[in-house]
Amino acid sequence: MTPLTVAATLLGMSELALAGDGAVDAARPYPGDNGASQVLLKKMEAMEQRIKSLESQLKQKDAPPAAQKTPAAISDGKPRGKANRTLDLAAAPAGDLVADAPLPSQTAAPAQTAAPGQTAAPDQADKSAKSAKAAKPDTLEKAGDKAILGLTDSPIPGLAIGAYGEMLFGAAQNPAAGGQWQGGADIRRMVLLPTYAITDNIIFNAELEWEHGGFSPDGDDKVNGEIDVEQLWIDFKIVDQFNWRAPGIDLVPIGYINQHHEPTQFYSVLRPEIYNGLIPSTWMAPSSSVYGSIADGLGYQIMVSSSIEDFGGDFSTRTDANTVPTFPTGYPGGITGLDALGLARPTISDFRQLSNTVAVAGRLDYSPPSIPGFAGSTSAYFTPNTTPRGAYADDGTLLGRSSLTMVDSEFRYRIPNTGLELRGEGVFVTFGNPANLRANNDSDPTDNVGKTMYGASGEIAYHFPLGTILHSEWEAVPFYRYTYENLQTKGFAGTDLNTPTGAGQLQFHNVGIAIFPSPKLVLKATYQKVINRDPAGAQSDSVLGGAGFFF
Amino acid sequence: MTGWIRWTAPAAAMISLSAPAHAVQYLSVSEAQKLAFPSASFTEVQPGRVWKTSSGGIFVLDHVIGKHLYIDYAVSIVGGRVHRVDILQYRESYGGEVRSPSWLAQFVGKTSSSPLQVGADIRNISGATLSSMHVTEGVKRILAAYGHLR
Repeated sequence: MTPLTVAATLLGMSELALAGDGAVDAARPYPGDNGASQVLLKKMEAMEQRIKSLESQLKQKDAPPAAQKTPAAISDGKPRGKANRTLDLAAAPAGDLVADAPLPSQTAAPAQTAAPGQTAAPDQADKSAKSAKAAKPDTLEKAGDKAILGLTDSPIPGLAIGAYGEMLFGAAQNPAAGGQWQGGADIRRMVLLPTYAITDNIIFNAELEWEHGGFSPDGDDKVNGEIDVEQLWIDFKIVDQFNWRAPGIDLVPIGYINQHHEPTQFYSVLRPEIYNGLIPSTWMAPSSSVYGSIADGLGYQIMVSSSIEDFGGDFSTRTDANTVPTFPTGYPGGITGLDALGLARPTISDFRQLSNTVAVAGRLDYSPPSIPGFAGSTSAYFTPNTTPRGAYADDGTLLGRSSLTMVDSEFRYRIPNTGLELRGEGVFVTFGNPANLRANNDSDPTDNVGKTMYGASGEIAYHFPLGTILHSEWEAVPFYRYTYENLQTKGFAGTDLNTPTGAGQLQFHNVGIAIFPSPKLVLKATYQKVINRDPAGAQSDSVLGGAGFFF
Repeated sequence: MTGWIRWTAPAAAMISLSAPAHAVQYLSVSEAQKLAFPSASFTEVQPGRVWKTSSGGIFVLDHVIGKHLYIDYAVSIVGGRVHRVDILQYRESYGGEVRSPSWLAQFVGKTSSSPLQVGADIRNISGATLSSMHVTEGVKRILAAYGHLR
């Protein structure tokens, strides 16, 4: 230990001594409690003695760090308990108010904040902070102050790592088993979010995702998931009105949940239905964007990206010529009347795109100051062609071009001074030439696509505060959401027979509750009823519980 | 296919080059001080962090984490009440709505005994949940720490 470390440690201890009276008081919170607190009390008294002797030694040394304490003392006009908080915050430079860590100069990298005294002895400061905390739990330290997973300060200035994830369990009808109810669980996703501010204006961001428990080539490991780089880009922040996101992998700016898909952003266990096909979330693409804010409460983003492709087959079946599997092998379409665009996302992999087409998407976000609590967006996506290279009908006819246009509008409205929240969304997709869609030419008469697809949903939720439990503010949010989707409208054209079963006309009732132990955690329970026009029924109802986090 | 590159690359390059070379810094410390207390003089009581003004106000500079990166902001207090809150620098790509003047105006007049809770007396910003929460917590802590200073 360097002399500075020793001094900082002692300083921490002397703070505890100053807080001594309060600490002893806090050690007797339960008057009826027997042995345990007596023992604790004795220990603390012994500790206090020890601290006093160390403190007197420290005074003799007249250590320089003592001088650093003075500014904090300015604010310390409050009772002794305050000292505890001072100490806690000293261990948490970010967001730290009372300790005298200087803020970074406005041009410095953001995390270069720790004062010398803090960096010299983080462990010790932490320990003293923890012991002080044990004595008085009402500290103001928050996970939001920490750069690495809400746990620790960043070892590299500017580097932060967040995370989100969700798991679910419960019972669901399995349509493949004739609608039998089956229990199950899924580690749906675990995502790490590294962010590195190279400067205040050049910022790296990525999302690394493990889905369904990860991936193993060994079948006996019993995981069948995936590992994805879901986002990877560098932002150049130029002016408020205009910033550039360099080419990378990014989320298409359609709707709200595609870009804000963390489980704390919605109340059902599963993502809202509109984002499960019509908007193929998580819809990421090789892309580049510009974005900025136009006025107070008005922002925009415009993106060019690799177009979605009408190919829903296995990646490995693409030919070396980057075409669909050659005739007459056949292949599943990416756009169908049963899965909507669920399989149409472009690949982000290995220069294996099946077309040269570039799509354009744009979004306008608004939260007008005149309507407090209201936020909404309108977005659109256009690609001149979704047909992949070498596309063909099952009779061997080559398929020509077909454009796709998608328009989405959604709002979220938390009515001020009440717990009431309303959400609504509508999305509309138009196909330029449905005769060229693979689903209409794949010899399957039931998955055909018409001229359009659309969906709409409405949701009502109410926020009930549950008070402070385990040092956190809890909230319960019961909700109900109705969704209607029509994936098989009129206007069919193609070589197939056209006998849809009605499975493409869907209604979803979701009712449930989301309990937020903190805004960063959510525990959910949802009952979902799925109705379609198929005579056999959707056979896809579920009762699910889930846990999610985002920090 | 490459047509869009021919169009957008020069445009992006030109805009990047012609753009001012300063950070996306909305206010410097002295600008924020001027906005809060236009004609006062400032005495630093904690270096780079807390100032008292000749008019009896307090100006506190602080930062909180938004989603991942720091938000620099300043709170000015007069007589134990929030006089003004300004965002000096916002680094993240999402959640910048906390800079909205109408959102920040909600803090004016708050004291250390106000609830200062997102969803209660401060409204949530959809899409900027963490930023709005952390800035609100920050203002609450500043009031707790400095609200009593005169």
